[in-house]
Amino acid sequence: MSKKVFEHPVAQAGETTGPSYWRSLEERNKTPEFRTRAEREFVEGASAISTVERREFLMLMGASFGLAGLGLAGCREPRNHTLPYAKQPENTIPGVPTFYATSFPGESANQPLLVETHQHRPTKVEGNPSHAANGTASSKFAQASILDLYDPDRAQASYGANGAQLSVAEVRDLLRALAASAQSNAGTGLAFLARPSSSPTRARLVAAIQAAYPKARWVEYTPVSQHNATRALGAQVLPDYAKARRVLSLDRDFLGAHDGTVEDTRAYSAARRADSADQAEKMTRLYVVESTFTLTGGAADHRLRASTSHISSLAALFAAEVLTQSGHASEGAALKAKVSGVQVDERWVKECVADLVQAKGEALIVAGDHLTDDAHRAVFLANQALGAAVRYVSAPSLSALSISYLATKPIETLVILGGNPAYDGPADINFSSAVKSAKSVVRLGYHGAAFDETSSWVKSVGGTVIASSHYLESWSDGLTVDGTYVPVQPMIDPLFPTFSELEVLAPFAGLTKEPFALVRETFNALAKDNSDHAFAAWLAEGVLADSGYAATTLRVTASEIKAFKAPVLSFDALEVRILPSVHAGDGLYANNGWLAEAPDPMSKTCWENVILISPKLAAKLDVEPEPMLINKIGQMNRNINLTVAGRLLCRVAKVTVDGVTIQGPVFIMPGMADYTLGLQLGFGRTVAGRVATRVDERLAGRVTGNGFSVYPLVASLAASAYRPGARLELTAATVPVCNMQDHWSMEGRDIVREGNAEDLRENANFAKLGIDGHAPAVYGKDGTMSPGQKAITTPRGNSAYEHPDHSVAPNVAVWKGHESEFLPLQQWGMSIDLNTCTGCNACVTACQSENNIPVVGRDQVLKGRNMQWIRLDRYFFDGRDNAGMAIPEDPQVTFMGVACQHCETAPCETVCPANATVHDDQGLNTMAYNRCIGTRYCANNCPYKVRRFNFLDYNKREAGHYYEGPLGPAKLPKDPADLPQLQKNPDVTVRMRGVMEKCTYCVQRIQEAKIHAKVRAKNSADIKVADGTLQVACQQACPAGAIEFGDITDPNSRVSKAKASTRSYGALTYLNTRPRTTYQAKLRNLNPKMPGANRVPLSRKEMAGREGHAAPHGAVHAEVHGAAETHGSEHPSK
Amino acid sequence: MAHAHDSSQERPAILDKVRPAELPRAKLILNDRSFHWITDKVCAIVEEPTPTWWKVLFVAALFIASFTFVGMAYLVSTGTGTWGLRSPVGWGWAIVNFVFWVGIGHAGTLISAILCLLRQKWRTSINRAAEAMTIFAVMCAGLFPLFHVGRVWFAWWLFPIPNQNGIWPQFRSPLEWDVFAVSTYFTVSTLFWYMGMIPDLGAIRDRAKTWWRKAFYSLLAMGWRGGNRQWSNFEMAYLLLAGLSTPLVLSVHTIVSFDFAVSNVPGWHTTIFPPYFVAGAIFSGFAMVLTLMLPLRAIYRLHDVINQYHIDNMCKIILATGSMVGYAYATEFFIAAYSGNAYEKFAFINRAFGQYSWAYWIMVSCNVITPQLFWFKKVRENHSLVWIICLFVNVGMWFERFVITVTSLANDYLPSSWGYYSPTIVDIFTFFGTFGFFSVLFLLFIRFLPLLPMAELKIVSPQADPHAH
Repeated sequence: MSKKVFEHPVAQAGETTGPSYWRSLEERNKTPEFRTRAEREFVEGASAISTVERREFLMLMGASFGLAGLGLAGCREPRNHTLPYAKQPENTIPGVPTFYATSFPGESANQPLLVETHQHRPTKVEGNPSHAANGTASSKFAQASILDLYDPDRAQASYGANGAQLSVAEVRDLLRALAASAQSNAGTGLAFLARPSSSPTRARLVAAIQAAYPKARWVEYTPVSQHNATRALGAQVLPDYAKARRVLSLDRDFLGAHDGTVEDTRAYSAARRADSADQAEKMTRLYVVESTFTLTGGAADHRLRASTSHISSLAALFAAEVLTQSGHASEGAALKAKVSGVQVDERWVKECVADLVQAKGEALIVAGDHLTDDAHRAVFLANQALGAAVRYVSAPSLSALSISYLATKPIETLVILGGNPAYDGPADINFSSAVKSAKSVVRLGYHGAAFDETSSWVKSVGGTVIASSHYLESWSDGLTVDGTYVPVQPMIDPLFPTFSELEVLAPFAGLTKEPFALVRETFNALAKDNSDHAFAAWLAEGVLADSGYAATTLRVTASEIKAFKAPVLSFDALEVRILPSVHAGDGLYANNGWLAEAPDPMSKTCWENVILISPKLAAKLDVEPEPMLINKIGQMNRNINLTVAGRLLCRVAKVTVDGVTIQGPVFIMPGMADYTLGLQLGFGRTVAGRVATRVDERLAGRVTGNGFSVYPLVASLAASAYRPGARLELTAATVPVCNMQDHWSMEGRDIVREGNAEDLRENANFAKLGIDGHAPAVYGKDGTMSPGQKAITTPRGNSAYEHPDHSVAPNVAVWKGHESEFLPLQQWGMSIDLNTCTGCNACVTACQSENNIPVVGRDQVLKGRNMQWIRLDRYFFDGRDNAGMAIPEDPQVTFMGVACQHCETAPCETVCPANATVHDDQGLNTMAYNRCIGTRYCANNCPYKVRRFNFLDYNKREAGHYYEGPLGPAKLPKDPADLPQLQKNPDVTVRMRGVMEKCTYCVQRIQEAKIHAKVRAKNSADIKVADGTLQVACQQACPAGAIEFGDITDPNSRVSKAKASTRSYGALTYLNTRPRTTYQAKLRNLNPKMPGANRVPLSRKEMAGREGHAAPHGAVHAEVHGAAETHGSEHPSK
Repeated sequence: MAHAHDSSQERPAILDKVRPAELPRAKLILNDRSFHWITDKVCAIVEEPTPTWWKVLFVAALFIASFTFVGMAYLVSTGTGTWGLRSPVGWGWAIVNFVFWVGIGHAGTLISAILCLLRQKWRTSINRAAEAMTIFAVMCAGLFPLFHVGRVWFAWWLFPIPNQNGIWPQFRSPLEWDVFAVSTYFTVSTLFWYMGMIPDLGAIRDRAKTWWRKAFYSLLAMGWRGGNRQWSNFEMAYLLLAGLSTPLVLSVHTIVSFDFAVSNVPGWHTTIFPPYFVAGAIFSGFAMVLTLMLPLRAIYRLHDVINQYHIDNMCKIILATGSMVGYAYATEFFIAAYSGNAYEKFAFINRAFGQYSWAYWIMVSCNVITPQLFWFKKVRENHSLVWIICLFVNVGMWFERFVITVTSLANDYLPSSWGYYSPTIVDIFTFFGTFGFFSVLFLLFIRFLPLLPMAELKIVSPQADPHAH
């Protein structure tokens, strides 16, 4: 799976390759006799009938016709034409994927990738390990971008002013003509509108254009800017989470939503790994101040709920406290004096800062990009005082003009590159009327007029819509977060006659070069070694070594910071916090089914957006769900939101800010700041593709986007992230909202286990508790065996059944007499570290991509039939003693990735009457799809509920036609809806309806690794797959490195080490399922001095209370025989 | 079974001394009806011109039955998704209906086999119709597990057919046991039913006037002539089949209960299930027998043959088994609490007070409370009330299966995966249609086959035992 340099071998004229063989001397000498003979079709005399008589001939022919007439002629195999390669292309072995390096373009940084291609068809995106900062990890957006390549709704041709289709040449002519006409007036009235990009080649072209047409304007716009801090400080901030031991995040969701999330998560998680009490004390402690509940807040040890419009002021308060405590008392006091109108628990600030100051040099404060410029300056000062683990680098200069420029100046020619300003433009600039004056509009769009607001508008004003290429079809380049120069290289020729951004810009820059040549020029300028060899190496590796941003020094003085005034918030004057959604981003990914169906990690909603409100506001509005009898008697926690017949039902409400009203379903979200409404961008499209549109609407010929649009509230660039002064009014309506998890509480079950350094010190085995500690010992006398031994011999314990012993040769003929030569096979297992998992969903999307998991659509998810093989269970805890009616206001959260646990004694296997799910000799619980008849008994009997059933023909039919059966339209090969089929992984079966499926531990990857190992082993017996050479898709994508997979019989493998951790436990093991996937308990790193620290719960507390044991048993009789029986008591408060 | 009027030849002297009260046994056939009357009465049902009510009902039943077949055609062509199933509830109405119908199919064989072995003579008035009910109910039941699978065209893989791949069914799976249990039960029940009918079919054949009737019943009667040798063989075979059927009555529902009990789902994984399911099955079966027999008795004026004594007996069995079922419900709670297992405890608390509590309380009120009315003689004698209570029992037993199947699955181990199941219109219509299917078969049975076992009735009639008087 090494990366290959893509070079077609060039055949020289008259070149002979390899040795020649000849059948006879005549052939070798090329005699005329031989030539005549070779050219004859039959041997001489073959055509002359010699001995056959007429009667005989007729008899034979009659018999032949007779046989033919008996229907044998009908038994013909379908005719296929196979054409062998006349000359084998380099690096192409049929059936073996090839990997190429490229990068996923983001707005501030590119994400380096390796892309798996099968016969030059890209199928899967992976992180590029050559870039150490993100390793093999990648974000779910990068993972899902491959589906966009095969988006059936993407623009497949360019269209001109009169709606006529334009050929590639015509588009080129048009661009050249526009460039030429601009030449005459130095570009007066010419404007470009683009999304920000990190591409140096694009920056070079922009500079060339601005040089050639001094009066032309280059405008960049994105609704969710990631450059505010850079603008405020004049330098890019690069926090080093790996080095920091104390992190305070001020409304910065560095684990959730921005271009550097993968790198940041990786660095943060690395500093969060701990197995012993000492390590647990040293691991990073995270403080978060935020308004909505983000992934970063979920990972926090201490979380302070505060409204976003107060957080800039809070930033100044924290900075002032840092200055005060680190010996700059007067500056601190001066800064503090500038803050007014914000109320906060003084002790929280004081103790948090004390902890930061105490970790001087290893502390870090990060601020959300949307905070005010002064807040960024204050945080800079605080970080200076802390000697924080942060670097300041000089980033490329940013476009000076914002989109509002277009509204102020007359535009004659507007070139819109990407984006969707007609949908996501700020409300104070009415984009379409603002540029009405433009004589000609050229739009490079990924979606055509039928599926995109801007393209549709461009068409309506008689502009040209040029179809855009996908990044996997184009040449370009970019910079990673730290400025490493990475290529964007095509994996495939454009599927349609499309253009890349560089191709559109080049004519304006007066260049006729292809993007490849342009990138090469940029490379030559940036790289020290610009030889062909170095260029090839760059493309092969995907990163340019030793490139990166240069450090810079900043000069910010406290005096330039102006006063902070926080607005007054109340239930009548709420604040809206506007965030890109985890599904559609700011709308860019709205037509991507994988993203639409990957649930929001916190609310677990998908396919649409909601108005998040705090439980307090919910209580005020009286929209809490009606309790059931079981809630009233205190046997189960009340649901947070109303669920009726398995459907989440939300009241519809209107949010009004400054006279502008939007309407959407209200979702009660624990952990929200009391006066904050959380709104997600990217939904409510009015012209959109089939994923972004509601299916029933689309079938009725209308376009109504999923969810609702928040853009009317995005008044201007300055107020794109949050706005105070909002009012919420309930309407009478109630709508179902699509979600994937109804219940929030673990109900005191020992599923997720948590502890802290204190627990580890008192009882390292704290994770092994609960019912597992009281059940009969499932391993009997063999409880002390190592996991590897257990896996190989599967001791019977108390089971009545014989269990397979993998250490002896199988009882089959081929091993007879060779039993002594049998080497035990490798046994696969997985360990998931709940401590580092942040719940980012990258594994979910990677699994969907790798394993051909269908997107089932909103309607089916509402019916509870999502197909994802791995799910992230989200549980809230609020430390309550008993279940009841209260909705947690300020809970802690835990995520637990659950896929098939590959139980050694799998309950699903014994109940399948068809023998369709069976165990293999390497410990995989396998599904024989062909044998499955679909009784669903296995799914019923699976305690982890990880089996997924194909209720309908999700692969064969399109959403909206599932229920039409054979009468409905099938996805025919010529139907553009079939385009996504090209993404399918050829190594994985596409399942039909009526078949059960589930996680296979990426069996196709295991097989591939085994084949590689056998090839490498040649004649030696060492056919074991080396640790680390095999990664399953979820493990590979995980930015936190929370998933380990490998051979559990090898005590040195990473997974064995993870399983040997004292934190390791199996879920529901009292059922004697013996899962191969185990978990490592979550660790909290509490600061006991913090206010509320004694209220912060561990999931175990709830458990102990609910199982009737005030103190969980420390060591477990079942599994840890010989370990001291100590009773670890509850210390959540320490 | 000492009979007050038996063996008057050697009357022990002690009896004259103590002078026991005369307790006449309840008469099985009232009004001293003659053999001829019985023959006429039963044969008339198949010999009379087709009544209008039958035609109307038959057409209606056919129409209703079509719901099942249309529903299943849609299901097979489109997918299991046309039903309301979802994760985590993989079994819904189909399995509920299966267990419901199989349960109903218990009374017939119980009446004919176990009561035969126990020499309960009152069974003769109802056994034929009850057996027919059994067979048709099992036919309805069989449709569901067959069609509930995702790929019904491969359902034959459940049979252990030798094949070149060497793949056998999974013999450890309770579903596989079901295949054998239900098919054996169906075969033996059908055989038993048919064999018992042979003498009566011979009687109908002998009375037949048209050639086609003669041909049809001759074929069915298999040359029955009523000779001593034939009677002797018949009695022996009947007894053997009764012996063979008896364990089946217990085993079928035991194995059906294993579908649940062998799994590890809290609420399913219970050792009480086999006896509890069998009791429930007998309970629902007798309720269904009464539901069918009371109208038939009224229509065909069979009051002399099916009299208050029969109805009383059946009501008492319903009362007894209903109480057993109620006891089982209580035991489940006790065991869950006693186990100390939080998952088990929750499963049962959730049944009674959770999202499906409505179903649970319907079940309890129909199955446990309603039958208690049968303690009262006045209730047992009010046949409209008896019929209504039996309907309640049928409803309650359907809900029992619903509660067991659905509530356990909907809220099992991981709260993250909890869900709620509700049926679709296809589920509902498919189930509704099986009542039509059942009715079609039962109407055909009434019309063409002897509704009551003439021969056996004659055996238990007073005239058959002249020495008694």
